[in-house]
Amino acid sequence: MKILRPMLVPVIALTMALGTLGVAQAASKTVKIGNIIPLSGPSASVGIQGKNAREMAVQEINDAGGIKALGGAKLEMLYADSKSDPTAGVSAAEQMINSDKVALLTGCWNSAVTYPTTQVAERYGIPFVVPVSVRDTITERGFKNVFRIAAKDSWWTRDQFAFLKDMEKEFGTKIKTVAFVYENGDWGTGFAAGWKKLAKAAGYKVVLDEPYPSTASDLTPVVLKIKRAKPDVLFLTSNASDAILLTNTLANMKVHLKAIIGSGGGHADPTFLKAVGKNADGIFDIVEWETDLNKPGVKEANAKFNKLYGYNLAGEAVDAYASTYLIKEALEKAASTDPQKIRQALANIKLCSGPGAIFSYECIDFDKDGQNKNAALVVVQIHNDNGTMKRFSVWPKAARHAGYTPTFPMANK
Amino acid sequence: MSGTALLYTDWLDEMEIIFESLLNGLLMGSIYGLTAVGLTLIFGVLKVINFAHGSILMVGMYAAYWCITLTGMNPYLAIPIVVPLMFYFGYFMQQFVIEPVFKVEKDVREPITVIIVTTGVWYILDNLALMIFGAKYRVVHTSVTGKLFELPGDIYLLQPKVYGFILTFISGLLLFWFLKTTLMGKAIRATSLDRDAASLMGVNQYKIYRTAFGIGTAVTGLAGCVLVPFYSVYPSVGIIFDIRAFIIVVLGGLGSIPGAILGGIIVGIIESVGAMYMPSTWTELVIYGLFLLLLFIKPTGLFGSKHDF
Repeated sequence: MKILRPMLVPVIALTMALGTLGVAQAASKTVKIGNIIPLSGPSASVGIQGKNAREMAVQEINDAGGIKALGGAKLEMLYADSKSDPTAGVSAAEQMINSDKVALLTGCWNSAVTYPTTQVAERYGIPFVVPVSVRDTITERGFKNVFRIAAKDSWWTRDQFAFLKDMEKEFGTKIKTVAFVYENGDWGTGFAAGWKKLAKAAGYKVVLDEPYPSTASDLTPVVLKIKRAKPDVLFLTSNASDAILLTNTLANMKVHLKAIIGSGGGHADPTFLKAVGKNADGIFDIVEWETDLNKPGVKEANAKFNKLYGYNLAGEAVDAYASTYLIKEALEKAASTDPQKIRQALANIKLCSGPGAIFSYECIDFDKDGQNKNAALVVVQIHNDNGTMKRFSVWPKAARHAGYTPTFPMANK
Repeated sequence: MSGTALLYTDWLDEMEIIFESLLNGLLMGSIYGLTAVGLTLIFGVLKVINFAHGSILMVGMYAAYWCITLTGMNPYLAIPIVVPLMFYFGYFMQQFVIEPVFKVEKDVREPITVIIVTTGVWYILDNLALMIFGAKYRVVHTSVTGKLFELPGDIYLLQPKVYGFILTFISGLLLFWFLKTTLMGKAIRATSLDRDAASLMGVNQYKIYRTAFGIGTAVTGLAGCVLVPFYSVYPSVGIIFDIRAFIIVVLGGLGSIPGAILGGIIVGIIESVGAMYMPSTWTELVIYGLFLLLLFIKPTGLFGSKHDF
């Protein structure tokens, strides 16, 4: 039995490594791309969606002959698990740049991880493509190597309020009071700061401003506070497990509101609708992308994704999918794996067509700070369509699902 | 006149909300207590902090989830299946994973290596669940999910929480009775007091450890069954409950079963009623503050024994 003791440490180290780093085999002629995303821990669900979308795109690109400008070189994806932890993200970036010699990096979904991790990439001069991470400041630091596809959080909150104003007008319902309930991370607090300013400008009275820990085991106290504050409209920023918990508890406790407006994330998670069922009826959610989008290639891409992984594409997955095609395009333009040439190509890129262009707007086009200036948002309503819960685009009015009339205010169950 | 009437109804509304949050805290707290009973039992006997506790809860929740989803049975009928299964899961885990390490350190009173082994088990179980079931959030729609007990004054209590409360007290009493009166229970208590003396009296300490670990795991499996009808199941769900369970165990007194249940209720009520007067992120501060205060005043916890053999 004595022999067990020296074995113990390596055995444990191995177990811990098992779930964290998947290092692929190096083939002869490949371009290495480092992906830092949450594959375990609280955001694993969305991280794995992003991984699946990347895998689907890489498979398509490699099958179609790889990067032609580089003699048909294949894309090779390396994945590191951030576990939603900034420290893990930073050390993964250091390792991928120094030991794996990646040509560029992508990730990290959690704004709190992306923020310091992009700093590492900037220091080494390695281009970093951010599909989704919405914190404003990520592209406001004057960095040369950071390129974000998703809309900034100030655009999200701006559009949530613009949507509410339009609804008030369209349905003749006056909104007086609002409540803000949000997860207490970077994402939620960033949204809340935007909401507070916008509410003041719009003349709404804020009756509740409540951050909660995303790891809360019981959100009934938060729901009771909403019930006590009696707001007309509830704004939410939630991850998956808390979005499920809040939606079910709000319905169970019979809290009556005129509207609930989510902010993507947990409300857009493919497992959300399955988990809450008709408790979600009438909830609005703001997203970058919806399956009912009317654009060539969308239906096919979604059908393929659903066949491969068993659920629909969502905004996060679409950005990850498009980002992989964006990287391919940049490599074609750069005709080199030199990070600085790739950076130059990304700065001048305009991705408007091709299989990757399934996003809701025309082109991906970066401004001088590396922010995609065309990123646009859609508000959807979850509606009970003959027994199945479906998401219908409702705003902007031009993008409204044909033949659908939103329910506003929400029907009281 | 109308002004005072308005104030009175406001006050009434406020009282109703506070009462509702108090009841919810009591129900949820008792369930926290149930998630901590297994941890405190295992600690009391083995003197080992089981870091795999949250993962065991996760395994219990998945077991209950699959039982209910595959057969469509009443969620509480899953208990007689899940609890014995979890007992043997714990029993054999102790026998084949922990015991070999334990024997190496048998002369140490609080074997540190075992703690590291339980940490390894935690990582293995969580990552296995991630591999097998994926990161999906699973919710089971049972006959009690979302059902309410409505009390006068618009006070709603979630039925699965009320049943959880009842099951916590039934299982707590049964366990208490088992430890006080049966021969096995007495042997467990003897080993927990002094493992060497118990061995000299003819108690097979390793068998006791396996049984205690099995019972601790079984109770945690019961907690899993109680949670599944109103909580989503996913691979890292255990982490949410086990940090709380550790605080509850120390608050109630290491090794004390009534202490764990009472500790759970205290945490539940602070979390629920406290949140009415402050942002809910601050209630954790109050819980940890109370925890530190108790460590200064009564380091053994509410029900902990002053003597350590």
